[in-house]
Amino acid sequence: MGSEGFGPRIAFTIQNIPGIGDIPVSETVTVTWLIIAVLFVFSIIVTRNMKKEPKGLQLVVEQLVSTINNLTKQNMGERNYAWAPYVGTLLLFIGISNIIGLLGFRPPTADLNTTMCLSITTFVLTQVFGVKSKGLGGYTKGFLQPMPFLLPLNIVGELANPISLGFRLFGNISAGVIIMSLLYGALGSFTEMLFGLTVPLLQAGIPAVLHIYFDLFAGLLQSFIFTMLTMVFISGAME
Amino acid sequence: MESSNFIMDFLNWLMSFEPKAIVLAASAIGAGFAMIAGIGPGVGQGYAAGKGAEAVSRNPKALRETTMVMLLGAAVAETSGILALVVALIMLFGNPLINLEGNALVIMASAIGAGLAMIAGVGPGIGQGYAAGKGTEATGKRPKMQSQIVRTMLVGQAVAQTTGIYALVIALVLLFANPLL
Repeated sequence: MGSEGFGPRIAFTIQNIPGIGDIPVSETVTVTWLIIAVLFVFSIIVTRNMKKEPKGLQLVVEQLVSTINNLTKQNMGERNYAWAPYVGTLLLFIGISNIIGLLGFRPPTADLNTTMCLSITTFVLTQVFGVKSKGLGGYTKGFLQPMPFLLPLNIVGELANPISLGFRLFGNISAGVIIMSLLYGALGSFTEMLFGLTVPLLQAGIPAVLHIYFDLFAGLLQSFIFTMLTMVFISGAME
Repeated sequence: MESSNFIMDFLNWLMSFEPKAIVLAASAIGAGFAMIAGIGPGVGQGYAAGKGAEAVSRNPKALRETTMVMLLGAAVAETSGILALVVALIMLFGNPLINLEGNALVIMASAIGAGLAMIAGVGPGIGQGYAAGKGTEATGKRPKMQSQIVRTMLVGQAVAQTTGIYALVIALVLLFANPLL
């Protein structure tokens, strides 16, 4: 979607793979690689030389880990505490993806492929752990509640969850990307009109306020909401 | 059958223009329609602001907490307005319909339809604003519970956004991946 103008650029193309042909690799994929590498290096650095009495960086990271642990405990119950690593990974990956626009990269979450992938992961986990904890009979029976004739509605409602989850993240982040790119374009043409310069003069400083709203506020909020809804869906299916 | 003749006359008159002009005109109408969604966030945020004033008058000590919850809730209630703005801006500045080949009438109707779809944003805007108002009121009563109240409010508002998201999906499909052509 959005291949005309607002979609992700093609970074490079892997050519002539036997049986498949050319594979275009978009900006989304390369930025995702970058985020993976950053998270990987970050987690190696902060877990090296751990001390009994935390200082500096270790203190910050311990605070982060215990926040994620508490969030999982409060929302999924003491019993499902083992979900904390997954919840933390989701929160960190989506959070960094959403605010990476501040560094001039295109957020991977502004691509429908990334967000639907994440939401389908949540959907599969929900169904698998629903069957696992309730048994196949109990799971199927859940679709006949409260009345058997509501079965089609229940199925549609269940399938609508991953769609709204994925599109919520995509819609919010790509809205920010589109508005910011239009603003930069407009400021660029203003600069040329007023001063006759091709130097980005007006683009410095003015977009900062919108960056705070669209990248920092909306980005962090949406990563939090995605993680919270994932926890709510999974723990709901397991009860 | 006077009326059907009138409709046929109107459509014939419409088709007598250049196809590109029809699509551009329809995009203008669609962009205008999309912004009607602004009613929702306006009403909702007004309600949240009113509840904030009420909560502060009851418990002036909790001014900081109350204002924080009010601003946070109102900012989330703004989402449907922003989504409508994005659809309107796409139609004005990056319109993908202009270069489409096909029946100009269908393209024109798609542009208007994409705008009309975004009016659904009225609902989520009002609903999320209501949730923001209630969250603000609750924070005024029990400022110590602020973090729990905010968390529940945000998740509820995210779910209330769902129909607005569906409207956005339809608007984007009409603009970028039109199945009717």
